[in-house]
Amino acid sequence: MSIWPEERVHALADDGFETVDMTINVGPQHPATHGVFRMVLTVDGEKVVDCEPYIGYLHRGLEKLTENHDYRQAMGWWDRTDYLAGMACEMAYCMAVEKLGNISVPLRAEYIRVMMVELSRILSHFMFFGAFGADVGSFGTSFIYGWRERERIYDFFEEVAGDRMFPTYFRPGGVQMDLPENYQDRVRWLLGSIRQGLEDFDGLLVGNEIFVERCRGLSPVTPEQAIAWGLTGPCLRATGYKFDLRKDEPYSVYPNLKFDIPTGANGDVFDRFMVRMAEAWQSTLIVEQCLDALSQMEGELVLNPDLPKTLRIDSGECYVRTEGTKGEYGVYALAKGGNKPYRMKLRSPSFCNLSALREMVIGTYVADAIIILGSLDIVLGEVDK
Amino acid sequence: MSKTLAPKPIDQVVKLLEQRFGKLPVAINQTATDANIDCPPEHFRAVVEELKNHRDLAFDFLRNIVGIDMLEEGLACKYQFFSYKNRQAVQVTVLTPPGNPHIPSITDLYPAANWHEREAAEMVGLIFDGHPNLKNLLLDEDVRIHPLLKAHPLQKAEILQGIEDTTPGFTF
Repeated sequence: MSIWPEERVHALADDGFETVDMTINVGPQHPATHGVFRMVLTVDGEKVVDCEPYIGYLHRGLEKLTENHDYRQAMGWWDRTDYLAGMACEMAYCMAVEKLGNISVPLRAEYIRVMMVELSRILSHFMFFGAFGADVGSFGTSFIYGWRERERIYDFFEEVAGDRMFPTYFRPGGVQMDLPENYQDRVRWLLGSIRQGLEDFDGLLVGNEIFVERCRGLSPVTPEQAIAWGLTGPCLRATGYKFDLRKDEPYSVYPNLKFDIPTGANGDVFDRFMVRMAEAWQSTLIVEQCLDALSQMEGELVLNPDLPKTLRIDSGECYVRTEGTKGEYGVYALAKGGNKPYRMKLRSPSFCNLSALREMVIGTYVADAIIILGSLDIVLGEVDK
Repeated sequence: MSKTLAPKPIDQVVKLLEQRFGKLPVAINQTATDANIDCPPEHFRAVVEELKNHRDLAFDFLRNIVGIDMLEEGLACKYQFFSYKNRQAVQVTVLTPPGNPHIPSITDLYPAANWHEREAAEMVGLIFDGHPNLKNLLLDEDVRIHPLLKAHPLQKAEILQGIEDTTPGFTF
């Protein structure tokens, strides 16, 4: 007689050995969940049979707050979504407001924006390399490697906007103020440092056979599956499907810039890592081009001077999508007059990528489930809104 | 598979949709960024199946679902679809009558809809018929409120946590 309920006991056919499904709770306070994410794994021995994610521990009511604030006031809430790359979120929010209000942006501001967004992308990817290395088992070393470059970029952000993580630097119609005087030298030095950091990661992780063997072939995803599950960004490109909103639905000044879209081949965890490595490298090229362009237009306006003190938008509806650091970062906005949006909805890439987690971890080992979760590169501020 | 196609202009998508959906009682117009189909809930499944399966439409990717409280008009639900094959985007708007917020679920057609529908259900109170697991996602499991309804106040925190004698939250 078993001490376990009947439905949970299943005998293995070959040796008659009885196994019991066990339920393991992971999180919400768990270092491998990258924040406050909880998943309940049902395991049969070491294999994952079922996984139920629970989210919402960081839900702050972003959309309700946005509905109740002035268009400019609400800005500050949005860089708290993807807090690893605050400026990428500000970009999407500002683009939505500009689309609704037909607000033009000076060219210099566009280049500044793209430069800051690409630096944010590098920030976010370095966080991923560090945290993912820790997931796989390099403990703190990769974390510190990632942190070195992040600190340097954050120092620059602080100089530009006065804040590190939540810069609130963009405005509908441009950016808050021009870059500091020495920015050309600062950023060029940063780029050298970032490239050195990428090479260090290449040696530390990609040059490590244990790391490569852990990741290669794990949870392969086909492009069809990725599209059906709603995966976007590096997770989609790792499958070999070349789609990047910066190229395929271009916005801002991206059409003027030359860069490649790195893609993987197998859609496994290793490809997701390598796509991000290549993407961070491409971002340094974009930043370099932005610097060249910016040096040609010193002293020009960075904020549309014709805007009223209070933005009022009569009516309109749009769905603006940008290539965020994790995937398609979309903002749906509906205006019905007044100085506040009637409804704003965030389509957060982490949320959609995470919803595919269940399908991806079933059938893998528990230790691999942690890596698969890490390879999605979620940020809980964005998942929970 | 990985060729770069330019996104199709909105007016071309509108024309294409008018050809396909001329017979159904739907209205086709456009927003600032996408073509839009206004569709009553009873024809919603037919429209989505056509959008997904027809060769010229082939909307294989569900981007986003937005639930909106339109006050006396009822609850609206907006779906943003995208076609990787044809590089075109469309929005489908379903307006449910007041007091009857039922919409058929599309989780069987688009697995990505699962969490989006759960979110719209808890936030504004839409009910997606046929959804496998329509419980709260972002909110507490046992909370039965719909915070994104316009009638729901911003200020009142639902869980008072021992500070009942003062007004919780900030005054905006």
